[in-house]
Amino acid sequence: MKKIVSSIGGFFSAIGRFFGEFAEALAKGDAFVKLTLLWWGAGYVKRKQYAKALLMTLLEIAVIAFTFGFAMQYVPKFGTLGTVQAEQTFNIATMQTEWNDYDHSFLILLFSLFSFVVWAAALAVLMRNVVAVYRLQQQAERGGHINTFREDMHRYIEDKFHITLLSLPVLGITVFTVIPILLLIFVAFTNYDQQHMPPNSLFTWVGFANFKNLLGGGGMTATFGYAFARVLGWTLVWAFFATFTTYIGGIMLSMLLNSKKTRLPKLWRLLFVITIAVPQFVSLLLVRNFFSNGGIVNTFCANIGLTGFLRNAGLINTSYIPFLSAPGWAHVMIILINIWIGVPYQMLIATGVLMNLPADQLESASIDGASKWQSFRHITMPYLLFVTGPTLVTDFVKNINNFNVIYLLTQGVYTTTNQAMANSQAKEVDLLVTWLFTLTQDYYNYKMAAVIGIMVFLVCAVFTLVAFNFLISGNKEAEYQ
Amino acid sequence: MTQTIKPRMSAKKRTSIVLHNALIAVLAFIWLIPIIWLVCTSFSAYDGINTSTFFPTQWSASHYVELFQVDTVNQFPTWFMNTFKIACASCVISTCFVLMVAYAMSFGKFKARKPLMNVAVMLNLFPGVLSMIAVYFTLRTFGLTNSHLGLTLVYSASAGLGYLICKGFFDTVPRALCEAARIDGCSEARIFWQIVIPTSRPIIVYTIINSFLAPWMDFVFAKMILNAGISANYTVAVGLYRMLDKSLINQYFTFFCAGGVLVSIPISALFFIMQKFYVEGITGGAVKG
Repeated sequence: MKKIVSSIGGFFSAIGRFFGEFAEALAKGDAFVKLTLLWWGAGYVKRKQYAKALLMTLLEIAVIAFTFGFAMQYVPKFGTLGTVQAEQTFNIATMQTEWNDYDHSFLILLFSLFSFVVWAAALAVLMRNVVAVYRLQQQAERGGHINTFREDMHRYIEDKFHITLLSLPVLGITVFTVIPILLLIFVAFTNYDQQHMPPNSLFTWVGFANFKNLLGGGGMTATFGYAFARVLGWTLVWAFFATFTTYIGGIMLSMLLNSKKTRLPKLWRLLFVITIAVPQFVSLLLVRNFFSNGGIVNTFCANIGLTGFLRNAGLINTSYIPFLSAPGWAHVMIILINIWIGVPYQMLIATGVLMNLPADQLESASIDGASKWQSFRHITMPYLLFVTGPTLVTDFVKNINNFNVIYLLTQGVYTTTNQAMANSQAKEVDLLVTWLFTLTQDYYNYKMAAVIGIMVFLVCAVFTLVAFNFLISGNKEAEYQ
Repeated sequence: MTQTIKPRMSAKKRTSIVLHNALIAVLAFIWLIPIIWLVCTSFSAYDGINTSTFFPTQWSASHYVELFQVDTVNQFPTWFMNTFKIACASCVISTCFVLMVAYAMSFGKFKARKPLMNVAVMLNLFPGVLSMIAVYFTLRTFGLTNSHLGLTLVYSASAGLGYLICKGFFDTVPRALCEAARIDGCSEARIFWQIVIPTSRPIIVYTIINSFLAPWMDFVFAKMILNAGISANYTVAVGLYRMLDKSLINQYFTFFCAGGVLVSIPISALFFIMQKFYVEGITGGAVKG
């Protein structure tokens, strides 16, 4: 926890430093430093760095052109997300139906957001610029050497090499991760759904209404609250079982394979790894048909009389065993199939860790007369937990977001009979992420999907914070060593 | 005394070894049943699912041949090439991005380093599917949905966020080497190219294979971006998934199996090369946080 708190603190102090430097530069700088606020190249012209001055001026012109040529079409409408509904009118002059000059709510939202990001970046560049110009002024006052343009450029493969390296990846992350996440957070506060689909109709801000709906406050969508509670519950149960069954199974399997009694351990390991080397969309779709209602396992169970036995026992009332199509059965099967797919992964990891196990400790333990169980309990287990503990946390988060297993196994196979769930387009076996996916792909209910997405983030974030806090305080000693 | 006990002990030991290995064999068998079924079914002469027997009643390799004869549903060769192109392009971009970010985060000494790393941790907590929806809209605005360029960007543009494992490896590269080079007047860029990259071959192999495999393994993003139903545009995952539609499964299930086997062979080969780095990466990266 301390680590995380201090890292958050560090983040803000870094921002504070940034503003502090800027304020100092502005206060103590000469007229040209101050003029840099208006004309970005001013300070560089004063120090005869004409190439830099030209670049900065061009950048400034670009930002201004962007602002008035592009951003101003969208940003002023950001408060309402558009007011002009799309309408078709028949133009008598051209004898054609024409669209009016309508507002596209989604484009307004997207491009406003894009403009905000560009402006924020421009502001940061401007502030860095003022600081840089002030540094130049200090340098000149001391009579120091003022870099030529070549020397300045050379710094980008020297002490500023990280900027060269980071610029493209950061741009990619901004466009493909940061802006989308911000956009979806905004959508959570609008009524963007099937009834409000641009370009034919507008959507607008609704405040916290969607959150109220999801948490069970809404009137007509009261089922959403119910479905959310059910889906969240199953997501957590699933993540817990999926993480721990595969973790424990993986450790047991790797101990079994690494035992001195095993003949040809490499061959056995290879056989298990084949399972995960096959892409999941092949193996999971295959298993889904393996266990389908009319599938081969069902035929087999009917032949040996298991189906009849279960029906007589009252456990099923169909002529087949609904492995993946009835609640309860499906939940258990999904976890079992996940063991099949997850244990080899964990086995690989555990094997890697066990091979690095301090052998001298185990040896001295056996000399001191410790039994196998004792040395496992007091040496192997703590070591494993220490090394793989953080992986356990990330695995849990990964399982909360484990789209593939659930979607590939149940999509199109499982239909819910629970009316309240069906009303919210959810299924008993859905995780929050698969529910979110169905809502957007099949029902265009973007507002609720966005709210669910935020909830997934909150669950993951809270869990990570708590778990790392627990792990770090629990492992202080080990860390100290 | 000892002489009489010894053979008895070893007999006991032998049974224990046999039992031990038998247990492993049983487990391995259970784990392999679906894979065996996949391979067997792909050699079936019948088109749909064989629900009555485990092994096909009539064997034939004809579906492997027919897989390369394109029809309206089955365009396996095209899908394979599509995926291959996308995988190559996104592999190049992702690998560059990951190495660049990892180097900057491991060797850089700039003030924003820690804050940036914290931001990355936070961004990784958002479900990928969530941002995908917005990415989909953005791509649609620019007309990049149902295009391979769009899909490549989706796989590779944010690759920089997955830098942690690689950074963990870079952290172990001896700093003395770099210091010496720096004293000799070597620029940062040359240190990156001529010292760090050559000494980090294992992690580069891992990164390359990993980012090459991602498009082959992925299903969600491909299904989301290539949603127009143009079969010639599909990747292998989307194409094979479509073969299992309720209306198609009885004609195409064996094709699905044959395609699945053909795709799995190269992917498995790469996976086996990668698996030894995989373990190092996961545990190493985790310990260093």
